[in-house]
Amino acid sequence: MTIHNNIDNFLAADLHDDLSEEERHDLHTHLVECPTCRQLHQENKIMSKILEETLRVEKPDPAFERRMLSGFRKRAPQKAGSIAKFIVDLMRLRSAQLATVAAILLALVQMGKLITKEPRQATVAARTALDRSELQPDVGQPGETASESAAKSDQLNIKNFAAATPGASAGGTSQAYAGQASQFAAGKIAQTPERAKSEPSASLEKESVNAPSTYAEAVGPPLANRKLIRSAKVEFEVMSFEDSVQRITVMVHEGHGYVATTGSRKQANGKLRGEVMVKVLPDYLDSFLQKIRGLGELKNQTLGTEDVTKAYFDTDARFKNARVMEQRLIDMLKKNTGKVSDLLQVEKELGRVREDIEKMQGELKYWDSQVQFATVTILLAEKDMEEPAAFLLKERTQLALYVNDVEKVYNDVKTLASPKVQTTSAQLDRDNAGRVAAHLSMLIVPEESDAVVSRVKGMGRVENFQVQTERVAQGGNGMSENAKTKRDKVALNITISRETDEQPVQETSLRILTSNVDQNAARLKADAVKSGAEIRNSTFSRDPDGREVASIFLRLPMKNYAPMMKSLSQLGAMKDVSVQRHDKIDKNGSEETAPADISIQIYSRGNIVSSDTSPLATLRNTVAQGVAALMWSLRMIGVAIAFLAPWAIALVGVIWITRRIARRRNKT
Amino acid sequence: MMDANEHEMYRAAIHGDREAFEMIIRTQSRALFAIAYGILQNREEAEDAVQDALVKAWKSRWRVRYPEKFPAWLCMITRHRSRDVFRRRRSVPLPHEIGDAIEPERTDTVALDRQLHSALAALPELHRSALMLRYFEEMNYQSIEELLGLTNGALRGILGRALATLRKQLRPALASLHRL
Repeated sequence: MTIHNNIDNFLAADLHDDLSEEERHDLHTHLVECPTCRQLHQENKIMSKILEETLRVEKPDPAFERRMLSGFRKRAPQKAGSIAKFIVDLMRLRSAQLATVAAILLALVQMGKLITKEPRQATVAARTALDRSELQPDVGQPGETASESAAKSDQLNIKNFAAATPGASAGGTSQAYAGQASQFAAGKIAQTPERAKSEPSASLEKESVNAPSTYAEAVGPPLANRKLIRSAKVEFEVMSFEDSVQRITVMVHEGHGYVATTGSRKQANGKLRGEVMVKVLPDYLDSFLQKIRGLGELKNQTLGTEDVTKAYFDTDARFKNARVMEQRLIDMLKKNTGKVSDLLQVEKELGRVREDIEKMQGELKYWDSQVQFATVTILLAEKDMEEPAAFLLKERTQLALYVNDVEKVYNDVKTLASPKVQTTSAQLDRDNAGRVAAHLSMLIVPEESDAVVSRVKGMGRVENFQVQTERVAQGGNGMSENAKTKRDKVALNITISRETDEQPVQETSLRILTSNVDQNAARLKADAVKSGAEIRNSTFSRDPDGREVASIFLRLPMKNYAPMMKSLSQLGAMKDVSVQRHDKIDKNGSEETAPADISIQIYSRGNIVSSDTSPLATLRNTVAQGVAALMWSLRMIGVAIAFLAPWAIALVGVIWITRRIARRRNKT
Repeated sequence: MMDANEHEMYRAAIHGDREAFEMIIRTQSRALFAIAYGILQNREEAEDAVQDALVKAWKSRWRVRYPEKFPAWLCMITRHRSRDVFRRRRSVPLPHEIGDAIEPERTDTVALDRQLHSALAALPELHRSALMLRYFEEMNYQSIEELLGLTNGALRGILGRALATLRKQLRPALASLHRL
């Protein structure tokens, strides 16, 4: 039925030849079955024909294309290919646009490099690469092939550069920079050709990877004539200094050298530290360095080469010239012609020349000796250099006491002093309010300390006792199994305070209701003093309603606490009793003598009806409040009128005007 | 879809080859005219519109990124241009068609012709363009689809509906013609 529903589309497509074989077949089958669609098909055919006929007239004439072309040529004339036009056309291409953007970015990057001076850094790196590479062929094993060492120095180069530019950690970047560096190196060599000839540089090696013979030519004979002073410095941690020195001596003999100097120093913990200076033939230097690796743990190694070729040969040439000069002067003397003064002059000149010769000879000899042997400085340190020689046990004791008579105890403690118990400082503070406190510091020999501390403890109530022990390592740090431990003097700090300043063990607060406050308060005070309590504070007050309140604050020893509470209960009904206990962790003070605080409030009921709540006063208050409320509502009404009045007036006005208009209309 | 030669021609035109562009004018201008005529229903105006569209296309050819889209792009420019012309014409009152329509019919064929034109004018613009491409250029459905950016189903729907609409409007006239 889809054909029937979409008959329009199918008919049009059929007319326009767009149906597939299958569709066409389906359509025709349907047309046979369905008279409505058949009718439409007929109509459509006629319709299409009419359309074709009608529109044929409207079709463009055969000259249409030519008209279009000529019009186009007229309106978009072909311009002569100027360069500007070409550039504009080029810029319209997407690839050209991308290329331009890339070029601009590249230019910006280059400018940034120029501004941040990065190329200079590259130069520095190149220079270091160059210096290293000067060293490289000497250090390399004789058997090493050129390509191997080239690869090695390449790595060196890259590493160098990575170190020089910490920012360039990415592999790709550092590679690129390394390439740049080697370029710089090449440039450097081009500037100093004589150097490049005699010393293979990193970049030269790099280029000669494909042709190892170049390397051989570059290294070969010229190196033999060079005057290089080589030196190395190595630092080891060894088990035994003496053994190591012996082994070094053996190795040096193998390397055709000798031990120049040795020196050692013993430390407090018995460990040795020393230095051995060794001379070996330069050719054996590398193998020697390899060998001594076995001595122990290598801590540090530096290798240096000084090139004195130029200075050496300069001096040599001058030396030879001086020799010729000397010969000529001697000849002049031999001829023995001329005046005496001339001869003297020649003699003098000869002396000067000989002096020069000797100086230069000495210089050359020195260099020869330096060049002949490479110097190796070996620093040796035995293991566990930092192990302590001994330990010192330091003890510090803090003691805080509460006593009744501070001054007496202070003097008692001072009398303890003896050669073995020394008072380092003693201080007694007393202020205008009668507060007294004392501080004592003592140094006690270890054997006496326990006795002294226990004696001082017995002089009062101990509030605080603290012992601090510290072990100090001597001549090193860390641990040691065989170091001795020694006890140092004990430092004792004593603080003496008055008992009254002590915090109570127990705090009690209660209220007592009696009819006769005054009298009972007086009785209470008398009782308290009798039972050894201290009255610290008392107040009495009476308010207008006849209420009386007396408050008393007592401190008494714990042993008197229970009897006191009993006598209090006789005064009247106890109310709101609260007890708070501060148990001290340090229990060495006796419970009996510890202080307890009691705060008592004695009060009576006031008049049943207070003057404020009497019937007359209540009436007066009520009337006054009523009047106030009345006045307030009056004020509010006034406000409301003030708000509404304008609107009401306006409304009335509008109604009046409309009525008037209506009336006039009725009249007319 | 598009053979290699055509593709190369469009590519060259985009890159500024005048010869190639003139070739395109030769091959495509009739189709463009059909589209413009479909919108404007006036031959002179349609020709001008195509001319304008071609010049504009030449000047901004570098905007086309893919050569295979070039014909559709040309068609779009023509449609825009034609619509511009149509809009401008709208402001000028030109109601003589209506007057003609009211005029009593002289002969049946002329009347039919006129009726057909007014029925065409009542069709949506896209329907008209599709009809013109089909009846002017006898283009197959696939080319029309490419040019107008339609799917096969959509084009079938458009042409089917267009013919149906015309048929309904012209049924009385057709009947009389049939009788003759």
